[in-house]
Amino acid sequence: MESNAGTTETRSNVTVPDGGEVAAFESLQFTDEIHRLISAPGTDNASSFTALLELPATQVVELLHSPESVKLIVASAPNVEDFKGSFHFPSNTGLIQKDARFSVFSGEGNNKNEKSNSPEMTSKNSSANLEKAVKSEPAETVSSLPLVSDPTMENRNIKRKDREKKVKGSTKKSKTATNERLEDAEKLPYVHVRARRGQATDSHSLAERARREKINARMKLLQELVPGCNKISGTALVLDEIINHVQSLQRQVEFLSMRLATVNPRIDFNLDSLFTPESGSTMDGGNFPSLVTPLIWPDVQVNGYRQQFQHQWHFDTLKQPIWGREEVCNNYVTLENSLLSCDSSANSATLHANQLKMEL
Amino acid sequence: MHLPHSTLKQEFVKKWIMGLQRCKFSNKKMSIFERKKAIKLSADTAMASARKGLTCWSRALISNPDRPVPTTTRRASSACKKIVKRSRRIRRTAKCGAARKGQITRSIAQCLVRKRTQILKSLIPGGEFMNEVCLIEETLDYITSLRVQVDVMRSLASASAHN
Repeated sequence: MESNAGTTETRSNVTVPDGGEVAAFESLQFTDEIHRLISAPGTDNASSFTALLELPATQVVELLHSPESVKLIVASAPNVEDFKGSFHFPSNTGLIQKDARFSVFSGEGNNKNEKSNSPEMTSKNSSANLEKAVKSEPAETVSSLPLVSDPTMENRNIKRKDREKKVKGSTKKSKTATNERLEDAEKLPYVHVRARRGQATDSHSLAERARREKINARMKLLQELVPGCNKISGTALVLDEIINHVQSLQRQVEFLSMRLATVNPRIDFNLDSLFTPESGSTMDGGNFPSLVTPLIWPDVQVNGYRQQFQHQWHFDTLKQPIWGREEVCNNYVTLENSLLSCDSSANSATLHANQLKMEL
Repeated sequence: MHLPHSTLKQEFVKKWIMGLQRCKFSNKKMSIFERKKAIKLSADTAMASARKGLTCWSRALISNPDRPVPTTTRRASSACKKIVKRSRRIRRTAKCGAARKGQITRSIAQCLVRKRTQILKSLIPGGEFMNEVCLIEETLDYITSLRVQVDVMRSLASASAHN
């Protein structure tokens, strides 16, 4: 078996195998092994492996036969070679089934992942995303496959780069990137991000890509929030708009606070008309006119504003129980003043909130 | 955490009124600027506490309420940006003369975006300590809160000026 394995390996590295050897393959127990492995119970650990093997041995042989291009052969060859690679070990099937989770073939697949992709992709498109799983695989496969000969791997490495370019134009049904590492389709507890065509697959760039996608999603939300950002494309310009918007809002707050600071304390509020629909539901009976000041304030300047405050405050504490009988005045002070006259801030807050709710 | 607009308004109004009560009595004599500052302070604090500590900017605003007023215009900063950009581009092309055009434009774009995120970080309270993802979320929240604040204050001002 090892001699055959050796020959097939060398052959796969070089050219199309001729039919004679393929036939010889079939005659070996090799294919029996393949069939046995294919029909092996599909545990979750071995799901990727069995998916790998869904391609029946006959198709593998056909692919080997096809003279279309090296890539296809090499694409299919790993299915054959992987077995051979594993046959180097004493306990092939046990190893394969046990280590399928950690993708025995990913060790070799590190070099020829994209080859294994094409037959695999037809079978499992959905579960094949392993960005961070990739990290674990090389570590395990290195430990589990020490016997894989280096020269062959190197050859495969050299060929991989060519194949990467060729596989992009492959006619296979694989829709997703053929650069994806699909050796392991296990459901590992990692974030699954689909690597796109022609993009790097190392873990750093994948993590960064996940982060960029998160950022872009939130930028879209921001674009919807800020008026006039929808038509702009490009992060820098959108950020410009956002910055302008935030600055304008902050300036508005400044201006409005200045305006409120200069407000004339004498205000006419038609509070009763606002409150009568609300009175029954939200207020206590005795506190209904709590927003109404019992006093009629004369016109005062800003400086006199504060004196009114204190005056009001003292006055109100005295007049607390009498508020229920006060009548609505025509002159109202600012909302702040009126609220200060209230006995309980909670009530005033709710009342004021209701009033503003009506206004707003 | 995105509260609906109306509940946020009510929360803000409640807290603002309580804050205004407090700060009105602390100083007997206030100039107009002090009053304005007091009002703004109370409004900002109310806005921040209305978020109930869920967002980073609200906590930063409560702990450090005095923020520098945005005085520098964007024009000056954009001019400075252009100068920086040009100098960097020259330096970069000198460094890697054979660099492709795509790389140069990409690096320029990155530089622009980086400058703008710096500006945004200086705008959002507590923004200097956030990474990009958090920054964008905080900006979202901050913008909605600012809008609520502006709405309430404007309605109050217009109501008080209505007489």
